[in-house]
Parts: sequence; structure tokens; C-alpha cells
Amino acid sequence: MTQADLVLQSLVSGLGIGCVYGLIGIGFCVIYNASGIVNFAQGAFVMLGGMITHVLLVRYHVPYALAAFVAVVAVAAVGVVLERLVVRPLWMRKAPVFVMILATLAAQIVIERVTFLLVDDQPKTLPVFLDWPPIMLGRVAINYQSLFIIAGSLAIVGALALFFKVTLTGKAMRACAIDREAALLQAIPVSTMLALAFALSAGLGAVAGILLTPTQYTAFNVGVPFAISGFIAAIIGGFGRPFGAFVGGLALGLVQSIAILWLGAGLKSAAALSVLLLFLFVRPAGIFGAAK
Amino acid sequence: MTNSPATTSPDAGPPGLGSEAEGTPARSGLALVLGALPWLVAAGLVGAAGYLGGYLATIVAFALIYAVFVTGLNIFMGFTAQVSFGHNAFAAIGGYTSAVLTTTYEWPPLAAFAAGLAGSLALAGLIGWPTLRLKGHYLSMGTLAIGLIVYEIAVQWESVTQGYLGISGIPSLGIGRFEATGDRQILAVLTAIVLLGAFVVARMRRSRFGRALSAVAGSEEAARALGIDVARYKLASFLLSAGFASLAGTLFVHVVGYVSPEVFGLHMVILAFTMLYVGGLGTVVGPIIGALVISLLPETFRGFRDYQDLGYGAALILLLIYAPRGMAGLIDLAAGRKAS
Repeated sequence: MTQADLVLQSLVSGLGIGCVYGLIGIGFCVIYNASGIVNFAQGAFVMLGGMITHVLLVRYHVPYALAAFVAVVAVAAVGVVLERLVVRPLWMRKAPVFVMILATLAAQIVIERVTFLLVDDQPKTLPVFLDWPPIMLGRVAINYQSLFIIAGSLAIVGALALFFKVTLTGKAMRACAIDREAALLQAIPVSTMLALAFALSAGLGAVAGILLTPTQYTAFNVGVPFAISGFIAAIIGGFGRPFGAFVGGLALGLVQSIAILWLGAGLKSAAALSVLLLFLFVRPAGIFGAAK
Repeated sequence: MTNSPATTSPDAGPPGLGSEAEGTPARSGLALVLGALPWLVAAGLVGAAGYLGGYLATIVAFALIYAVFVTGLNIFMGFTAQVSFGHNAFAAIGGYTSAVLTTTYEWPPLAAFAAGLAGSLALAGLIGWPTLRLKGHYLSMGTLAIGLIVYEIAVQWESVTQGYLGISGIPSLGIGRFEATGDRQILAVLTAIVLLGAFVVARMRRSRFGRALSAVAGSEEAARALGIDVARYKLASFLLSAGFASLAGTLFVHVVGYVSPEVFGLHMVILAFTMLYVGGLGTVVGPIIGALVISLLPETFRGFRDYQDLGYGAALILLLIYAPRGMAGLIDLAAGRKAS
């Protein structure tokens, strides 16, 4: 393989992982827009998506598609429980931003430990969706899982765009993002929207986890790195802009895959975090500018 | 984002403004007793550990090291109302610098500590200067990122840190000929350091510098209007607390004699926040009490080791919701005054 092929190959895998970061980033934005909260348990949703699917598939022999569907619904439910038990009491008390972040980070740890106790600490993987040989473009191999990730993510982004633009619920959520009090005056049930935002964002995280797990692995403690990557994606795109976050995720995935190629896999999160610091220093509002 | 003037709620802000020592003589007497209570409890615990020695002494030594770390965190969070999720980075730099310099290069502990401190302060300045202009979640995430980067470097830079394997054979604390060996000497040295730290914080709080920090905590806009250079005071507070964290890291590696990346992981941040919230944000004695209570509690539930982190996480959530000012806050409430 020539150097150019290697770079291309890396970029292809970077695009796949970048889509996943983008989905996680969108999850951050959906909750942030509905409530002004940065939910740090976002990574737990990603972990749970892969983990629940694995447990259903391997231990209980549920068909793959059904297992994935049940996992997404279950994780969305976990999102609502998190919102009811942890976020809402703090929100009612008008707790400051960092208390919220701390509480969700603590929730992340709780979810991690419960998973550890209920399952175990071994890395788990899922079978690829289609076990076909990779497509060869010249000397660059593209496996079907990457295509599933990219196509799945694009479909979700499209569906979300429609949801926010066309449906009444989507419009109501956007109204909450613009001005919560005004939305309340329009008889929009703001607190239901908050729960819904957590469900939606948890479901997105779960989908990201299920898409990704066949190419990597999942374990009880993979959540925080994913949350950080998703957060960086959201910052790059301008916090609170879901589609900016998706673009940010792609950019981050590409940068990271190049960093792995040149610096070694060990420093991939250091590379990602350096991107974050660079943005914080130079352009905290992100490429597209902050949403508010 | 919304234009919130400060990152903490007013009730978590710095106490000690105005309503001090008011009320009837009987009431202020009660306040004095209740104010002294946490100190007496802390002294009793450390005394018992020194007397009994053994395992209890080890636990209390850990608690005192954490007390130094949490005292530093409290300066930044409790008094200045800023937040850092990355103070483990400074503890890691202090700890690893001490470990490497005293083992591989055979420096004396004090010189190694100074080097680690210089390194931590340099990084804190480098990071703090740009991020402290930002508010809310940007600052939180920036600091969290630093903590994770330093952790990763500790794992990856194997030629110096020996990765997950860690560095062992670190000499005990010592200055010149004196070397703290044995439980009692180590406890005595750590107690002296914790008291010195508490003294510095207590003095600082009443000083011009401390009052400027309270003003920043109350409202950055108002502080600026009063002519306080907000960014400079925030940075100074950040540097000071990073210095405490670096010291805690150095103390840890000397007392334990071993260091690995896990010591300074995200776990450390959550643990420190739990201690800070249990003890009470923005008080002098809070970090010490919090560190002692949180270190001793799990020991009484041994055999539940797997549940420890779960317990810390759940306890932290409950505290944040129901008792944002911690135990020191309860005592103050009972005593009918605002500062301990």
C-alpha cells in the first residue's frame, strides 16, 4: 500500500467514526437546546446501546434487529428516568451549570457501575450487520459496516431535520430552544419537552452505540471517551447547532484517523482533546457560531 | 448560552459577608461550640489514627492528602465560584515529577516537589489564561479535557512514567536528614501541612485578595464595575488551587511509595467533589471533614468494594440535589450564622 492509499484508508474509517461522534454531538445539542443543560451522561447511552443489544443477542438469543430496537427503546427510557430523577430536581432548584454537569457526570458513573455489576467488565462486541467482503476502490477497502454507519447516520440526520421542521412536537422543541418562557406562554408543555429531549438524545446515543460496536467493542467504561468526542464535535459545530455538531463530528473523525496514522493509536484521544483546546482558545463559538 | 453572571447559585457562594457573630451572647456561644465541633471531630479522628496506628493510620493519611487537594479545589470552587474538572492533572504532574526525579535522578524530595509545582503552575497558567475568559460549560469541558490529556500522557509516555506499570520505590517524605518514616511521623507531617493549608485559606479569605474573590463569585459584572480585574483574580485563584493539587500529588507518591496513572484518573475528580460537597463548599474546615468522612465511611462497609464508586456517584447526586452546602452548611444552619 502506498502512503496515499494509507491516508485514504484512514480517512474512510475516520468518516465512519466521525458519523458516530456527530450523532453523539447531536444528542448533546438536543438536550442543550431544550434546557440549557450539558448532559455528561451522554456517553453512558452509547455504551448502553451496544451493551443491551449484546446481552439480548448473546444471552437471550433475541433476533439482532429486535434486540437493537429493544435496546434503543430501553435506553430512551433510561434517558427519561435520568431526567426525572437527577436533572429535573436540580432544574427546579435553578442549580448552576456546573452542578448540572457534575450531577450528570455522577450519573454516568452510577450507570457505568450498575452495568459493571449486572454484566461484567469484559469487552463485548456485536456481529457485523452484513458479513460480506469489503468493497475495493482501487486499493482502499470499504467494509459494509462503515457504509451502514454512514448511511444510518445520514438517514437519522435527515429524519431529525424533518422532525424539527414538519411535526408539531419538533416545532415545539425548537420554540423551547429559542425562548423557554415565550414557549410556555404559547401553552407548549416545556417540561414534557425536556423529558422528550432526553429520550430523543438517549435514543440517538443508543443508535450510535449499536452502529459502532461491531467495528470496535463496548465495555462498561467506554462512555466517557465517547461523551468527550461528542462534546468536541458539538463545540466544533457551534454548541446547540445539531447539524453543525454532525459536521463537527465528521471533522473530528477525520483529524483523529490521521492522528492515529501518524502518531499511533495511543494518542488518539490526546489528539481529539487538543482539537478541543484549540477551539476553546481560538474560536469557542465553533465554525458556524454559537446557537445563541 | 444564557447570560448568567456566576456559575454557582447564591447559596453556594462564599459565606462570611456581613452577618457574622450577630445574635444574643448565648447564641454566639452555641455558634462557637458548633463552629469548633468539626475541628474537634477531625482532631479526634487523626489522634485516634496516630494512637492506634496500622490500617486506620493509612486511611487517615490518605484522607489528609485528599484534604490538601480538596482545600485547593475549594479555593477555586468555593471562594471564586468557578469550576474545574481537571485538577487531577495538576496532582498528576506534581506526583509524577516527584516520583521520577526522586527515583531515576535521585533528587531530594523538596527540590522535586518544587520542580513539580513549577510544572503544574506553568500548565495551569497556560490553560487558565485562555479558558478563564470563557464561562459555564466551556470552562468545565476545557478543564476536563486537560485532566484526561494528562492521564493519557501518563499512560502512554512509558519511557518516563512506565505506563500502567507505574513507578515504585519512591522514597518517603524528607527534608535534609529528617525523613518521615512510620505511621505517626507521616501523620504528624501531613497534619501540619493540612493545618498550614487551612491557615493560609482562613487568612486569605479575610484579605483583600479573598474579598476580591468573593466579589468575583458574587457577580463578575459587579466586581468589574468595582474595578476588580476579574480575569486576573480568577487566574490567581486557579494557580493557587493548582498549587495545592500539585502538593497533594507529591505527598501521595511519597507516602504510598508508588504511583500509577489510575491514582490520578477521573475517579479522583469525582471523589474530591464528593468530599467537597459533603464537607461544605466555601468553608475552611469543610474540605478536611469531607475528606476524613468520605475516606473512613467505605472502610466501615468493607466487602462492598464493588459498590464503592456506585455509592460515591449516588451520594454526590443526592447531595447536589438535597444538601448543596454539605455538612458544614448544616452546622452553620443550626448555629444560625453563615460562616464557620
